[in-house]
Amino acid sequence: MSKENIIQITDLTKVYGDGVKIKALDNVNLTIGRGEFMAIVGPSGSGKSTLLNMIGILDTPTSGTITLDRVDITKASEKERSKMRNQKLGFIFQYHHLLPDFNAVENVMMPLLINGIKPSNARAKAHTMLKEVGLGERVNHRPKQLSGGENQRVAIARALANSPDIVIGDELTGNLDSGTSEKIYELLRKLNREHDQTFILVTHDERMAEKTERIIRLVDGKITEDKST
Amino acid sequence: MYELFIAIRHLRSRRRQTILSILGIGLAVMILMVSQASMVGFTEELYKKTVDNMPHVTVEPKSDEDYIYLYRGLADDIREIKGVTGASPVLSGPATFAYKDTSRNVLMRGVLVKEHNTVLHTERDIIEGNFRDLEVTRRSVILGDSLSEKLDVKVGDTVDATFPEAKPTTLKVVGIYDSGTPHDKTLAYVPLSTAQHFFDNSNVVNSILVRVEDPDCAQPIADEIGAMGYQASSWMETNPEILQTLMIEGLSNFIILGMIIVIASFSMVSTLFMVVMEKTKEIGMLMAMGVPSRSILTIFLLESGIMGLIGPVVGVLAGILISLYLGDITMDIGEEAYGGVSTFPFVVRTKDAVMIVTFTFLLNLVAGIFPARRATRLDPVEAISSE
Repeated sequence: MSKENIIQITDLTKVYGDGVKIKALDNVNLTIGRGEFMAIVGPSGSGKSTLLNMIGILDTPTSGTITLDRVDITKASEKERSKMRNQKLGFIFQYHHLLPDFNAVENVMMPLLINGIKPSNARAKAHTMLKEVGLGERVNHRPKQLSGGENQRVAIARALANSPDIVIGDELTGNLDSGTSEKIYELLRKLNREHDQTFILVTHDERMAEKTERIIRLVDGKITEDKST
Repeated sequence: MYELFIAIRHLRSRRRQTILSILGIGLAVMILMVSQASMVGFTEELYKKTVDNMPHVTVEPKSDEDYIYLYRGLADDIREIKGVTGASPVLSGPATFAYKDTSRNVLMRGVLVKEHNTVLHTERDIIEGNFRDLEVTRRSVILGDSLSEKLDVKVGDTVDATFPEAKPTTLKVVGIYDSGTPHDKTLAYVPLSTAQHFFDNSNVVNSILVRVEDPDCAQPIADEIGAMGYQASSWMETNPEILQTLMIEGLSNFIILGMIIVIASFSMVSTLFMVVMEKTKEIGMLMAMGVPSRSILTIFLLESGIMGLIGPVVGVLAGILISLYLGDITMDIGEEAYGGVSTFPFVVRTKDAVMIVTFTFLLNLVAGIFPARRATRLDPVEAISSE
């Protein structure tokens, strides 16, 4: 692949537990290029969510290094890690995890406000993002008033609000019917092409994974397959 | 300032609990405000009834002498002391007053009218006759109303004053006073020269009574006079029960009301702990969006701060309204108790209101630290996947 590397993972190991040690990740080495649209697959307990949380700077490895855009995040301070999460990363989870007390546009504004962007500008940007995911008409609805698919679209708009380099999705269609899942996937693919952002999607749905450009298969914390589709 | 945005939204989304927490704090503060207003009113009234009607410093002869000699110079020196507003030399001693078939033992006090008026309000208490007649009529006397009733004398009558080793004399009653204190039964005012003649001790007094501007500062002034070699005691030393009364009242008030506020703050803290627990997933998501733990702390401190500010402000306002509405309190207690205070007003002082609000606000802020810190210590991965 000729693309510039955005993520460099070297000898990454994560061990859980004080007494009985469980190796969630075992000496993982992985390089991901800018603008890649890829899937991490594997059975449950294979370590794919752990790997995703490491890349998302939500968890810290037991050993090894992760470099995001040439910054070693395993050595970064709490403040730098927060800043990187805000500016370089976008998260989409299985359950949308929108803030229930805020409406759609406010939810999308949140990463922008955290980034220090003026509320009026943040609101305008959030409106644009919601339009892009096809929710231009439902900006003032709260999560409770939206369907699962709609909420997931809001979550996507929120993840993309700060134009992050990397977008992470953890079983993001796991909670949706296949028709809606399909649409969400198409939307992500479109956004990936338009914005040249790296999308890393964890899924156990092989059919969905096949639609990405690259599949990483994890078994027992080890990469057993790395194929381009 | 997205922290404020989130904090306000959290409070608004849980409107009922928020209002209950605020009301809890407000109610406690309201009770504190009303109680403080009554306490201040009671204190002022007690001062007015007692401290205001007594010499703030009493100067007595040097320890090896029976009298104060050269008292005019000493009184002038005392008047020079900063904070002193008057000094009155007096010569007091026991005497027996007789009128027709009745006689009573009294405390005869010889005073200089002008000087006496700078120290005590006896003139204000005159119900018959004129206090200033002491100045113009030699061999005159002013009696308390109880004493005059016991002797059955009226203004214009003359009483016979005698005592062993004293020069018997007749005194014309020129006035009757009613101070509402036990003095009314025993204390009789005569001109200083008359007392000096009666006790056969010209040009001496046995005490100088001093008034100061701020009664609370009587002690250092008494110490300063004491440094001149005389025995000087402040009203706190001569009437310790007044301060004791105030201290006991104030302390018990403070303890009970302080506890009420602490309880109210506890309920606020438990509400906040519940918010943290309910919002665990959300806090995890905020962390994932890049909110640093310092800002998570800020969000929850803002929540406790907002409740801890609105509550006391509402409470203080309600307390002020209630105090103003209640106006005066009248208690049916014996005249002797609490220096004869039976009616006292609610006195609302700005400084009390500000102090109560500040104190409660800070208490809530400090209490809010515990749930807020709990929120910052959440692990984002666990928080997001929590159910």
